[in-house]
Amino acid sequence: MKPQVAFFDFTSCEGCQLNKLNFENDLLDILKHVDLVEFREAMDDKADHYDIAFIEGSISSPSCVERIHDIRRRSTTLVALGACAVNGGVNAMKNLHPIDEVRETVYGDDKYLFATLPAMAVSSVVKVDYEVRGCPMTQQDFLRLLIALVLGKQPPKYGSPVCVECKLNENECLYNRGMVCLGPITRGGCEAACPSVGQFCTGCRGLLDNPNLDGMLEVMTSHGISLDEAKKRMLLYNSNEVQL
Amino acid sequence: MKRIQDVQSHEAEDLYYPTMCTVKNAKQITEMEKWYELEMPAGESLGHGPGQFVEVSAFGIGEAPISVSSSPSENGTFELCIRQVGTLTNVLKNYEQGDTIGIRGPFGKGYPMEKLFGKDILIVAGGIGLVPLRSLINYVLDNRTEFGRLIILYGAKTPAELLFKEELDEWEARDDVELHVTVDQGDENWTGNTGVITTLIPGLDLKLNTTVAAITGPPVMYKFVVMSLKSKQLPDDQIYLSLERRMKCGVGKCGHCQINGVYCCQEGPVFNYVDIKPLEEAL
Amino acid sequence: MECFSLLRSDVPALIDHVGAYGEVVAPHGKGDVSYSFEVVRDSNDVVLDYNRTLLPLKKLFLPPVEKLMDFSLKNKSFDPVEVAIKPKVYFGVHSYEMQSILRLDHSMLSGSAESNYFKRRQESRFIGISFTPDEFHFSESVGILIEEMEGFDLFLNEVDGDFQVYVLTDHGQELLQGFTKMKATQPEIVEERKFKKKIRYHYNRLPRVFQYAYHSDVWADVAERCVGCGACTLTCPTCFCFDVQDEVTVAAEDGMRQRSWDSCMLTTFAEVAGGENFREKAINRTRHRLYRKFKYITDEEGLPWCVGCGRCTAFCPAGISLPDIVNDLIQEDEKAQYHRSVRV
Repeated sequence: MKPQVAFFDFTSCEGCQLNKLNFENDLLDILKHVDLVEFREAMDDKADHYDIAFIEGSISSPSCVERIHDIRRRSTTLVALGACAVNGGVNAMKNLHPIDEVRETVYGDDKYLFATLPAMAVSSVVKVDYEVRGCPMTQQDFLRLLIALVLGKQPPKYGSPVCVECKLNENECLYNRGMVCLGPITRGGCEAACPSVGQFCTGCRGLLDNPNLDGMLEVMTSHGISLDEAKKRMLLYNSNEVQL
Repeated sequence: MKRIQDVQSHEAEDLYYPTMCTVKNAKQITEMEKWYELEMPAGESLGHGPGQFVEVSAFGIGEAPISVSSSPSENGTFELCIRQVGTLTNVLKNYEQGDTIGIRGPFGKGYPMEKLFGKDILIVAGGIGLVPLRSLINYVLDNRTEFGRLIILYGAKTPAELLFKEELDEWEARDDVELHVTVDQGDENWTGNTGVITTLIPGLDLKLNTTVAAITGPPVMYKFVVMSLKSKQLPDDQIYLSLERRMKCGVGKCGHCQINGVYCCQEGPVFNYVDIKPLEEAL
Repeated sequence: MECFSLLRSDVPALIDHVGAYGEVVAPHGKGDVSYSFEVVRDSNDVVLDYNRTLLPLKKLFLPPVEKLMDFSLKNKSFDPVEVAIKPKVYFGVHSYEMQSILRLDHSMLSGSAESNYFKRRQESRFIGISFTPDEFHFSESVGILIEEMEGFDLFLNEVDGDFQVYVLTDHGQELLQGFTKMKATQPEIVEERKFKKKIRYHYNRLPRVFQYAYHSDVWADVAERCVGCGACTLTCPTCFCFDVQDEVTVAAEDGMRQRSWDSCMLTTFAEVAGGENFREKAINRTRHRLYRKFKYITDEEGLPWCVGCGRCTAFCPAGISLPDIVNDLIQEDEKAQYHRSVRV
């Protein structure tokens, strides 16, 4: 029997989910491997059990916590999809401010009507088996994971920085073009999509294990941006990962 | 320095194509380890020596270096014993009789048998380290009169993780094998030794001038075993160790297995202790 | 050695002429300030004055990503990839680059000789060109002069804006056959091209420095600045480490095995399946890179495995300079020697 697959969204823009709807050429091949049982963007079936649950978005309210626990209980394998689910993504920028201040800014006088929590990675609430990184996640990365699960192999972990893929593409380094780029400490696997078209890396795939953050700040500031700006760039997608 | 002019075109080889071998027998021997007997396509023999390894290949998954576990004196087939620790080895556990597995090799240097003939052989095997050493043990047993004593020290974490239990029983029963087994942690049925493998060494009565030690185990084990053997006054050049590294290509190119300047897949995986003592990255 | 004079304006004609032998690869502009080796479509696009290409010429013999085989998951079988032997001309190559190819020959062909590399190297012709060193080139310090001609079939030496063409091999002679835009002349010595960057010791003294440098404090200083991007090794013309991966189609029926350049500067490089990492710390990796260039292979072959192209330094986002590291080690070694002598 084909694995029963479901998609769920939490606090996010749902861009990763939309990205999957654009599979077109590959969709039929994908459906050879899996049965789609829950996917709000495309259908509204409900099932009791999922072989693979794909989670998009960060966990940022008490009701989210309850719901993710419920999904985890009903799922054999749980995969975090996209930056928000993997490490909180841009949502986690709010964690840099006192939670009351955030509520006040967003809800004004009604702030007591809306319970809120710091934006958390799915993995800080329930066990996550695998992750697909990026904002948004790329189709290719998602497919690699799916095929790996179908074949029973470990999905790629991408332990190398974006710079590696830039070099293999023989891209001109953006630092040599006077730009400041997070490629050196950002987890690769995106085929250096942004630098390849002249856009600096913003770190959307999260940081490598044990990055040299002080060294990176030094690199960034020595290429013409202030320490404050350098830290902001680093935090954009990684507020939950970096202590600066 | 090798110059391209000095290379004849027939000398340049297709280094990365596997030979497809058939699984003749397969058996899950512990929770984590599976044993396979493989047959080469035309029934030829692998031609390995004890301590050598092969690159095992599954299409779609990749390759991993695996030590050959059988004695070279067995003809026609060879055996592997694979622990499920990585992505390839996890997939291989689904392979059964009749399946085909890609093999490249044998690669590297095994035990220098010509230097071992006539000697007392001391085997020190930690955990899965018994797999490559089994090749040496069985070779010694197949040629029993060519060697002196055969002393086997084998340590595992728990009784459940002991490999090749039937063979352990056979070795135990033989008069010409001195087998000492220990586990880090016993269970209610365990009556044998408890403790790390080095606890077995002080009690040994070794003839220092004729004993050769062969050590294989997890990376953390080597330093301690070498220290224990040295405190028994066993000379450095009578100690051999088989080291684990990421031997990705097996042919001295890809660079992953380097220990300082030495390619483990070429000069090893079996090293004389004298040769790796100066290498800071070795132990 | 035959020598001819060639006007700068006639170089495109020369490129077109040698194109009769085979596809010509030459330096082209790339991006804002960079260069790369590309197949020549229009000989007027070829750049004659360039500092260095982003990737070394190595990329054409040991491609950054290379398919090793196609396979079928269903049949558990594979189809080999045939590497065709094609005549090619590599035009406008600097001396350090040529030297790197000769070193790469050793790396890929000694021990087990690799057929893919060997086939790509067959029928290749090399036309060198002189260059003006910038602040990163230091090849003189590793024994490679601007006019080092080993390995080339022809060499273009710039003299007062035009060129002298040296004919170095029979193959070079054949490439020029029927080309009429040159005049026989006497070779001139050009003196004004000086290297700005230098390693303080002659390269044959470096293995001794490295013998005592293993526990130097220099490594920690470098590791503190290094962000681990791998640019130094991925752009190095003598590095040849690679990784192999299997890619499978979405239908999960077929796929291919491919290899791609890897780097010992990346954290996962020396990790084994059980999780043990044999070069876990940045200082171990930094040190390993330099030892690969100046000690391990050098001890056996008598040559530094660095050609002084300056790529690792020019393309390092942290501005870490390889010759500066070596000079720091030399300085430390001198201090240590001084202390030893005082103690005696």
